[in-house]
Amino acid sequence: MSVLTIEGLTKSFRGFTAVRDVSLELKGGELRGLIGANGAGKSTLLHLIYGRLQADHGSIRFGDTDVTQLRARDRARLGMGLVFQVTSIFLDLTIEENLLLGAVPKVAGTPSVDPGEVERVLELIELREIRGRRARHLSHGEQRWLEIGMVLLTKPKLLLLDEPTSGMTRAESRRTAGLLRELQAARAAEAMIVVEHNIEFIRLVSDRVTVMHRGEVLADGTIDEVQANPDVEASYLGRRH
Amino acid sequence: MKWWRSRVPPLGFAGLAGAQRRRRGVEGILLAAAMAFPLLSGDTFLIDRVGRYFLFAAFAISVDLIWGYGGLFTFGHAAFFGGGGYIVGVLTTNEAAFLPIPLWAALIAAVVGAALFALALSYFVFSGRGALRGVEFAVVTLAVAVVAERFTNAGGSLTGGQNGILLSASLGIPGVISLQQGSGFYALAGVVLLATYLGVQRFLSSRSGLILRGIRENEDRVDLLGYDVPAIKRRAFVLSAAIAALAGGIFYVHEGIVSPGAVGVSASTLVLLWVVLGGRGTLLGPVVGAILLPYLTATLSGSLLDIWLVVVGVILVAVILVLPSGIFGFLNRDRAT
Repeated sequence: MSVLTIEGLTKSFRGFTAVRDVSLELKGGELRGLIGANGAGKSTLLHLIYGRLQADHGSIRFGDTDVTQLRARDRARLGMGLVFQVTSIFLDLTIEENLLLGAVPKVAGTPSVDPGEVERVLELIELREIRGRRARHLSHGEQRWLEIGMVLLTKPKLLLLDEPTSGMTRAESRRTAGLLRELQAARAAEAMIVVEHNIEFIRLVSDRVTVMHRGEVLADGTIDEVQANPDVEASYLGRRH
Repeated sequence: MKWWRSRVPPLGFAGLAGAQRRRRGVEGILLAAAMAFPLLSGDTFLIDRVGRYFLFAAFAISVDLIWGYGGLFTFGHAAFFGGGGYIVGVLTTNEAAFLPIPLWAALIAAVVGAALFALALSYFVFSGRGALRGVEFAVVTLAVAVVAERFTNAGGSLTGGQNGILLSASLGIPGVISLQQGSGFYALAGVVLLATYLGVQRFLSSRSGLILRGIRENEDRVDLLGYDVPAIKRRAFVLSAAIAALAGGIFYVHEGIVSPGAVGVSASTLVLLWVVLGGRGTLLGPVVGAILLPYLTATLSGSLLDIWLVVVGVILVAVILVLPSGIFGFLNRDRAT
């Protein structure tokens, strides 16, 4: 069964069409890479999926639910989790408090996450030993991982990551790739979408990619298939060299 | 008890759990020592005065709850503190219909009235697409204080106009115990402060408290994690208003008079100074500020008749420049551990 089904999604800003007639389907267990040049519409599509932006046309189904008209908060409650391109954590709270904000119930009285989950996530993001440190004292990479950990503790069915390696060193990017592979192997979320402009990073984490160009889906397939696609070569990959 | 409660440091401390426990212990000892000191001195005037400061401290904690912990800067919280006094005054001195009512019932009415007003206001300012933040919220609270002051000034026989209301009710149980003056009042104010301190501490270590501090740090992120941000703000604002009204109700019964200045902008600004001086976003900070600054003011105004206000102002500016996070904020300053 599909985790996410997008049909004919379009979004314009004052006459400029950032996303045009995009359709996409995401199956359970899938980690989809979404690549394209700057301004291709990747992040806009991600924010349309999450509900930070409302689509002009088209529909978004999340599992059995049509979420097209829902607010971001309600989509989050249904099981979508977003890791921002610009790190969005709680700088003056400790690492543990940041994670707790992911873990505690979103609606009072509903069941909360197992306390062991917090320990597992602390272990996973390698911040267990400094759990009492305020987030502002972490390196950029550690802050990115903390945000991933916090969103993971919301138990998302669909995890959306907007350029998770943005601003990271090469070593941190490799560590992030390893982290995402671990998450996929552990089925931490039913499906994931990773927006990146770094195709080498996508090659490390994802088997299937969707290439966007000027707001439209240009190609869809395995990394090798899209790299061999002449349109992709001409419009995106070719320009990178 | 929810499992996360033991993991949420209620005072916003950084550091490991052991350090947090030590600091909390130090706080508790400081608070207990500060509360016991006037009694040991035996000076009844001082005891009575410190009792008043305790109620100021409860008021300051109520402001710190929404400003220091929730990031909601308020310029009009005296409308609740002074409003508590006015509600008690109106209900215990008027002789119309079912009035006057007993003092205890009037105090309950003050708390409920302030909470209901805060609840109604919060639906306008925190909900919907036009939800207010930062300066916008501060301006609304400023308007509340201005309107409250105008209303009490123009309220005729109901509010006593610019002369205010003379409160004849007395704190205590008639024929059993008087809590209106001296050590009785001191004990009552101490209990109010302690209950406020512990109650707010408990709130801050709850789910709502953690989310409230998250809102202060990054409101959008809290919303996008799926939390109901307006509901959490509303809860904190209502709690804060109720505490302020209780402290104010008792304070003005003790004073024997409540006048329009009690609900206005300058009273609302004064409490901000206490919080800033003591340390915003800490629980003991507002207590320290609300005792220290009025004490300093009262002491210096007696010895430096003409220039005391200037001296207090200079001290305040100097402290804020040297310790921008306040006295207790400095002691509790952030260290990368």
